[in-house]
Amino acid sequence: MIYYILLPLNAILLVVLQITLSDIFFSGRLTVELSLVAVIYAGFRLDFVKGIALACLMGLTFDCLSGAVPGSFTLFYLLIFLLVFFVSLRITSGKLYIIAFVSLVCSLLESLVLVLLYALVFQYDLTGDMLPVLVLQALLTSVLSIGFFYVMSRTEGLRYGKTIQTPQRTWTGGVSPKT
Amino acid sequence: MFLKNYRTVIFVGAIIAAALILLSYNLRYDTGTSVLKKIVMEAAEPVQKMFSASVEAVENAWRRYIHLVGLEEENRKLNKTINALQEELNLYKEGNLEAQRLKKLLSLQDTYPHRFFAARVIGKELSMISKTLWIDKGEKDGLMSGMPVLVSPGLLGRLTDISWHSSKVLLLVDENSNVDVLIQRTRVQGIAHGAGSRGCVLKYVPKIQDVRVGDVVVTSGLSNIFPKGLLVGKVSYVNRVDAGLFSKIYLAPFADLASVEEVMVLAAGQQEPKQREKKEE
Repeated sequence: MIYYILLPLNAILLVVLQITLSDIFFSGRLTVELSLVAVIYAGFRLDFVKGIALACLMGLTFDCLSGAVPGSFTLFYLLIFLLVFFVSLRITSGKLYIIAFVSLVCSLLESLVLVLLYALVFQYDLTGDMLPVLVLQALLTSVLSIGFFYVMSRTEGLRYGKTIQTPQRTWTGGVSPKT
Repeated sequence: MFLKNYRTVIFVGAIIAAALILLSYNLRYDTGTSVLKKIVMEAAEPVQKMFSASVEAVENAWRRYIHLVGLEEENRKLNKTINALQEELNLYKEGNLEAQRLKKLLSLQDTYPHRFFAARVIGKELSMISKTLWIDKGEKDGLMSGMPVLVSPGLLGRLTDISWHSSKVLLLVDENSNVDVLIQRTRVQGIAHGAGSRGCVLKYVPKIQDVRVGDVVVTSGLSNIFPKGLLVGKVSYVNRVDAGLFSKIYLAPFADLASVEEVMVLAAGQQEPKQREKKEE
């Protein structure tokens, strides 16, 4: 329960931190997508309901604070969470390079959907101006995800004595009895 | 049964549908700032303020640091410049003072019709037992023992020990120094004997002679060492009360022994055959 109480606050903290960091390091030109990394983390490590809640809240907060069309990032994050969650059922996520690769793909997908949305709805062609930025952003997200997962794994280790994620996970995110 | 089997799929579908509806609604109708957005923004405001304050504090600290680094660099440069300018100024001052001193020394040449050698003082010894100067000219420069040494405006001493390139000057105030002098006003003769920090003592002046404080004393020229008329000093103390035939008279030398840096060695009257030969050649 405490998770659901703290989740909105954490979502706000993370998104504000993301905006601040982007402003400090890249003058707002590049987004440090901590919220996306958190969604990917949820996809790999949290159970389904908690992950859905996190993705929704993170997306909604980002929509509200970033000035994007309300609902857009909520939808993106939901889709990304589902994608990562289903991927995590198929592959083991212990290796950091897998996480980095998945993060890179997710970030690129998010950018692609964003470009498509703007092209279809607003008839804006973002590919010319934004493409290098989006690629850079995907790489940055990939690197960030490694750090984020490492820190979270250390935190989990300190808290539970072991990480939540195991080689084989179930729908509820728990440990499979077979493993 | 159907719901139980597919509840996850239905849940996911419902959520995605809700998100799509939210997006479509916002795309179709420009809702502006919705209540939800306002709530999130209100909630995020203190957090944003906190982050901004932190970032600002760090930025300010960094700027101050950079500013201080700049100041330090500037300060170092300015200090360097000041030091260089002070050195330069010091050189000019030294040059000016030296020029003034040399001008005074050269004025001796106009005062006395003799030949002079200019020399620089390279050492001083003003101890209890010996009061001498060391100058940078010697035998190779034509100096000889006994030559009078002058600074403006009068006599300083005489050469005693001569080496090839340097010499020692026995000062007037040295206890071993004796100069035959006379009081300019009354032409009374006496011997100026060195008395260290008291200057000189004028010896062998009878009590009946008229001697006053302030009388100028010059060389008498009776010895072969000093030519006549070189300024020696002024009478600073006269005592006729004590027992004895002679007055007790102190002289204050004209030459300032403490600050002397250049001297003139007087060669006239000491022109020896060697020098004459040179001239004739």
